[in-house]
Amino acid sequence: MFTANTTLMLVATFLPFLGALVLLLVPKGQRKVFEYGSLAVMIVSFLLSVPFWFGYDRGSAAVQWFQAWTWIPTLGVKFAVGMDGISLLLWLLTTFIGPIAIACSFSSITERHKEYYLWMLVLQTAMLGVFITQDMFLFYLFWEVMLVPMYFLIAIWGGPQKLYAAIKLFLYTLAGSVLMLVAILAIYFLQHKTTGVYDFSLASFQAMAPIIAQQSKTFQILMALAFFIGFAIKVPMFPFHTWLPDAHVQAPTAGSVILAAILLKMGTYGFVRFLLPILPGATKELMPYFLTLTLIGIIYGALVAMIQKDMKKLVAYSSVSHLGMCMLGLFALNPYGIKGGLLQMLNHGISTSGLFLAVGIVYERRHTRMIADFGGLSKSMPVYATIFMIMTMSSLGLPLLNGFIGEGVILMGSFQAFPWAAVVATLGIILGAAYLLWMYQRVMFGPITPVNEKMEDLNLREVLYFAPLVIVAFWIGMYPKPVMDVMDAPVRKLVMQVNPDFYKAESLAAQQAEAARVGMHGMEAPEAPEVQAAPAGMIHGGGH
Amino acid sequence: MTTTMSLEPSAVTAATHPGSLLWLIPFLPFFGFLLNGLTGRKLRSTKVVDAIALGSVGISFILTLIHFARLIGLPADSRSIHQSLWTWFDVGGAHVLGGLTTYKIAWAYKFDVLSGCMALLVTGAGFLIHLFSTGYMAEERNDGRYYRFMAYMNLFVFSMLNLVLGANILMMFLGWEGVGLCSYLLIGFYFEKEFAAVAGKKAFVTNRIGDFGFMIGFFLILMVFGSLDYDTLMGSVRGIMALPSITLFHHTASPTWWFNLIGCCLFVGAMGKSAQIPLYVWLPDAMAGPTPVSALIHAATMVTSGLYMITRLNFIYINAPVALSVVLLFGSLTAFVAATMGLAQYDIKKVLAYSTVSQLGFMFMGMGTGAFAAGMFHVFTHAFFKASLFLGSGAVIAACHHEQDMRNMGGLRKLMPITSLAMILATFAIAGIFPFSGFFSKDEILWQVFNGWYHHGLYNGPTLNLVAWILGMLGAFCTAFYMTRLIAMTFYGDYRGAGNDPYGLTVQSEAHHAHDDHGHADAHGHAAADGHHENHVHELDKPHDHHADDPEDHDFVPGHHPHEVSWRMWLPVLILACLATVGGFLNYPESLHRILPIVPAELFTKWLEPLLYQVAPVVHAEHAPPAIEYGLMAWATLVWAPSAMILAWWIYKVDPSWSRAKAFVARFPNLYRWVNAKYYVDEFYEAALIGPTKRFSAQLWSFDTWVVDGMVNGAARFTVLWAHSMHWVDQKIVDGLVNGVAWLIQQTSLVFRRLQSGRFQHYAFVMFLGFLVFAFWKFLA
Repeated sequence: MFTANTTLMLVATFLPFLGALVLLLVPKGQRKVFEYGSLAVMIVSFLLSVPFWFGYDRGSAAVQWFQAWTWIPTLGVKFAVGMDGISLLLWLLTTFIGPIAIACSFSSITERHKEYYLWMLVLQTAMLGVFITQDMFLFYLFWEVMLVPMYFLIAIWGGPQKLYAAIKLFLYTLAGSVLMLVAILAIYFLQHKTTGVYDFSLASFQAMAPIIAQQSKTFQILMALAFFIGFAIKVPMFPFHTWLPDAHVQAPTAGSVILAAILLKMGTYGFVRFLLPILPGATKELMPYFLTLTLIGIIYGALVAMIQKDMKKLVAYSSVSHLGMCMLGLFALNPYGIKGGLLQMLNHGISTSGLFLAVGIVYERRHTRMIADFGGLSKSMPVYATIFMIMTMSSLGLPLLNGFIGEGVILMGSFQAFPWAAVVATLGIILGAAYLLWMYQRVMFGPITPVNEKMEDLNLREVLYFAPLVIVAFWIGMYPKPVMDVMDAPVRKLVMQVNPDFYKAESLAAQQAEAARVGMHGMEAPEAPEVQAAPAGMIHGGGH
Repeated sequence: MTTTMSLEPSAVTAATHPGSLLWLIPFLPFFGFLLNGLTGRKLRSTKVVDAIALGSVGISFILTLIHFARLIGLPADSRSIHQSLWTWFDVGGAHVLGGLTTYKIAWAYKFDVLSGCMALLVTGAGFLIHLFSTGYMAEERNDGRYYRFMAYMNLFVFSMLNLVLGANILMMFLGWEGVGLCSYLLIGFYFEKEFAAVAGKKAFVTNRIGDFGFMIGFFLILMVFGSLDYDTLMGSVRGIMALPSITLFHHTASPTWWFNLIGCCLFVGAMGKSAQIPLYVWLPDAMAGPTPVSALIHAATMVTSGLYMITRLNFIYINAPVALSVVLLFGSLTAFVAATMGLAQYDIKKVLAYSTVSQLGFMFMGMGTGAFAAGMFHVFTHAFFKASLFLGSGAVIAACHHEQDMRNMGGLRKLMPITSLAMILATFAIAGIFPFSGFFSKDEILWQVFNGWYHHGLYNGPTLNLVAWILGMLGAFCTAFYMTRLIAMTFYGDYRGAGNDPYGLTVQSEAHHAHDDHGHADAHGHAAADGHHENHVHELDKPHDHHADDPEDHDFVPGHHPHEVSWRMWLPVLILACLATVGGFLNYPESLHRILPIVPAELFTKWLEPLLYQVAPVVHAEHAPPAIEYGLMAWATLVWAPSAMILAWWIYKVDPSWSRAKAFVARFPNLYRWVNAKYYVDEFYEAALIGPTKRFSAQLWSFDTWVVDGMVNGAARFTVLWAHSMHWVDQKIVDGLVNGVAWLIQQTSLVFRRLQSGRFQHYAFVMFLGFLVFAFWKFLA
């Protein structure tokens, strides 16, 4: 019925905003209207986004459904939209998480419903906008607009220290954004200096890479640092992460879900979209430092998570560790690493959302998130225990679930590039198992107290919003190929941009096919010495 | 489930035959898991759960048999059935040794000589143990968690089948982690018991430490071979070994060096999963799970995955002499140390747990000498006798009202004749008495180890082999001793549980011991309270219709006498014991074949042969086995093991008061304390690793709060402070300046206001003055 085209993309993106405008007219007291109205809008937006999954041309690395309208001609600003595989996946993740975030708010939001759901809808459009924009000006606009609803969501419906957390989130990330803006403007003016035109389009920015490479080293390093800090705050990477636990702990459940699933991905997306393709040289130059911070983040986040007493804080610190893994993959600058990093962005969106939702469930029932207050919940809440277990396993990277694919591919990729970094990161995975299972054990197992015995298991609504997460977790775990295919061409292009030597090496496919054919016979000892030489010749190929 | 061939056609080897129903072998138990897991809670009768769980594993077993039969019909060098379901990982390109590979990892199964045997074991033993569980877990039928147990067991079978049937290392890893998860879930099955939950977590995390090595190992394989498919690896290993050197990560070394590295890394994984020193600590704790779990997962199948992995990748190990030595060293140490730990345990399951660790050590010793088939054969015989022993102990525990302390047992031979017979047979097998299966497998391993040093009569092999052999012999002695001790304590003498305790041997079970296995404090708490223990034991049999098998002891004795368990429990024990008795003849040694040519020699070794990498062509020189082989065989089975058994018999059976054992403990209290406390290894780990990690985490957390976040908040506070000072500056200086100007103007204006009198004369006077000044100034200029 619907085919994927630019119009539909814009409709899906702006539908939440339009929905917010309509709901604005509804009087305040109509709680159900806001709840179900915004849920319906989110679901329709998601359904409208589905055709793009099927309509995407997986063979092409080009930006698809591209369209640009002149906006501010004197500055070279266009309203340019379109998506490639990387942005498509994140865009779909956003439309996918949207309904879940609304559905989990029905019981947790008890006041000022109208504003809450309006802000949620506005936030949704802002986030979707970031992923479809192909113009730096527009990008920055969406990027900043996104912060406003998030600020209010935390500051109004948050926990006891909500104002502190909201302001910290806003100012901290704004500081990063400003650095990014400086870098954007520097490139913009450099572009004018060299080409004579003012153009904010993303393509022209990426085309600047060779020109930037000719600039002074200081300029390149400064540019890279500006982008890096801007995005690193958003990711967040060590040591720019401290806004995250506060924001997560204070935010309402839906806020945490969106924060973890989408907002943090803005940082990693920024790395993929801007830093790597625009400044490949400087990135490689600074790689040892980037890598060090990444590895510290992985281990540090895991260790700090281990001793948290608050479940939400534990999950928040686990995000620091997991996003470190994403960054490790991206920094490997090879297809395995980047694909793993991108996939892990989705995986983190799914499993960490699941964990935050799970924490939200018990918080709504007991109004505490302290691990020590729970224990033995498996007995009173068996369905919840199962779902929580699946999400925990997904988060700690158990095969058959999504997390394993992401982490496995990241580690394989980074092992090719920096073996020691991969070894250190693998330690982080061990710690991941330790802190997640420790939390699970203390919350779900052990003797049960009377107050916990009375806790109700999940109701239908809760099961329904967990179900999509569980299904996708298994789907990616067992058959990630469709997802991998979507990002295949763009990643290939990105690797060409950032690590052009990669594809120049000799291909091994024929030799491997021959080896597979030899198979079992290869185990037999050669009868005569001259036979021995035959397979040896094939492998020689081009060594390193 | 579509069965598309996603690999390029050329990747399917000529030596491989497609199999279209292969995928059902692992997936049937998976469907069983899904059915039971999703609907089990709502099913009215647990019989349906039984049907699903047993049916799925049973059909899977039949399918395995069919495939195995097909395998037998094929020529030896192409015994491999392959099925590729879909592409699992397709991640573009990777830079590996020799160039760029666009290798795709498929979700594929490979049923060959090795995985076929393992699949038979997993589904066969799995089926028997499922059957046992239907009897053993009878209590759970009433409290709504029976379905969960069965679902986990099915999931385990699925994971284990993925591990053994997977056609590439990543599939193995999938199973490897999957069995870890099931182990975690099943150890912590009685999750309301704190120690069970802790034991589950300990198992998982310890295994994760091992997986760390495993992952690094297979990354290295990917880098060296550019593939993880067994077929491709096997095909290219000869070519790689022929390379003069390999350069990876700016490090150049010989292929052997890299293979050693790979072998050692992978062995770390095996240490975790197969419970070797130093990562064995989780296995004894894992006994907190229900006994069928201990039998299936922690004895017969999962813990042997490390052995399977080494045999599967034997082409790497055989080219990695250092890695093999490491395997031999750790294997022999484990075989000995764990066996000594078993000497002083009183918990019947703990004895068996340490015994398992020790026997796994023996298997690794076999691997370490390059005798993969011998090690693998011990996997199978061990699966038979140890599963039988575990299930038998489960029957005993169930019959004795969840009593696990052997001091509170005794005399059960008369009360449980079938179980005791089966366990005694299995004990002979594990002790290595001819012609029980353990003799053939263990003796072969020890001979291979010894032969490495003996070296055709030259006695110039590595000293490690001699040391390992001595450790192995000592371990074998301990094995025979503690097993006989177990039998004597459990089945001989008089039953000590019913208050009949003339020698003061019984102990008050610690609370957690009593419920180690069945954590139903509330379920049978009242039963224990009012003393109707035998009623409770009968609960186990309520769902069964086969009371005819049970001795009618309702009004037997007015005590708590246990009685034989239902057929569902003793039948699997007996079948496994029979297999343990005769199974050894499947690998009848060549040396004995010469004496008794009726039995075909080395069936198992020959069966595995196509899979084993041959460094040099096999020379079929018919030289007679050395006399020393016969000598050692006779020594082991006639002197060594029997003397250990007689010693234990003498201490624990002949003297029912165990005064000799008590005297020994009194004489060497410290030795006893150390052995009984398992050399304080757990305490050491706690003090040296876990504690410091937690403390370090706490320090990092303070660092995070005070330093990292402190800087952020500090910046904020500084900004606010600065803002305040600016405010002050603004108010006092900037605004003060503005106000000052205003004030000045005001003040000045006061002066000027005076001037504005409104009188013409004043103005005229001022004008005149001004004129005068002007003129004067002009004049002066």
